[in-house]
Amino acid sequence: MAYVKWAFIIIFWGTIAVVLQYSLPQRDIVRIVNTYEERQDLNDWTRIFWSEPDDQSTSLSNRDVQFIQAVRANGKPIVYRNEDTSWGWPLYFKFDTANLYTEANDAISDKDDPDWVAVTHYGWRNEFMSIFPNAVSLKHVDGPDVRLIPWFNIIFLTVFFAIIWAIWVRWRRFRQRRIDPMLDGVEDSLYAAGDAIEERQKGFRRWLDSWKTK
Amino acid sequence: MFGAMRLFLVLLVLQTIAYFALSLYSRGVRRRKLETWWDEKGKQGNKEAFVERGLHVYDNSFRRKLILAVYIVPWVAIGALIYIVNYM
Repeated sequence: MAYVKWAFIIIFWGTIAVVLQYSLPQRDIVRIVNTYEERQDLNDWTRIFWSEPDDQSTSLSNRDVQFIQAVRANGKPIVYRNEDTSWGWPLYFKFDTANLYTEANDAISDKDDPDWVAVTHYGWRNEFMSIFPNAVSLKHVDGPDVRLIPWFNIIFLTVFFAIIWAIWVRWRRFRQRRIDPMLDGVEDSLYAAGDAIEERQKGFRRWLDSWKTK
Repeated sequence: MFGAMRLFLVLLVLQTIAYFALSLYSRGVRRRKLETWWDEKGKQGNKEAFVERGLHVYDNSFRRKLILAVYIVPWVAIGALIYIVNYM
């Protein structure tokens, strides 16, 4: 029973952790090398990793998506998709895809004269599922070693866990005050009933015994 | 615009649930506090009337109206996010 309980707890918190890891913003410092558009087929289950920029896009099985190609400071490539999130999940309210595409094109630089930018994005890059993180905004930075402090994530996670903790503490107090005494009461009356039955049996046994020949 | 409508409707439903839950919870806390005050100070007179009076003061208080922030804060946050993400 304890294993089942822990399995549930781990699955529950694991799901929350995965959703947060996917949706919270992260920043990479990269050098943008190119941008392109490509027709994407969107009719299998990986649809959940692409946005719904407008109402029609929910019924389309394929459409053009913009991509931003970049190289990290360590030389490894990273490709972002560039899509509106509009009013959908995750709640970035990104409507300026075309503007971001323009900024990205403006920031293209080569190895000899690198123009480092911090790209804010959410999502995952996975080569096997062909999914890409969605770039949300970009900002020019001085160099590849600039220290970026994720203020938004710090505040968001603090508030999030504070709320969870507040609800949890109140729920536990409520349980101790209302539900546990009730369960104890049920237990007590069960024991009382058991004792009463035992008492009865003793009486019955005594009466039976009285018929036995001594 | 359907996406926006869907978001607004879901948000409105969630806000209403949160508003009523918070209102009931907050009033319950206040009632318990009033009862504890009464018991600790050992005042004379009618305890129920004291609690009712205290709750009436609470119903008209600013603190009570702060719960309306449940309706306001998310809209402000959405407005701020739209500005930061798209125009900054």
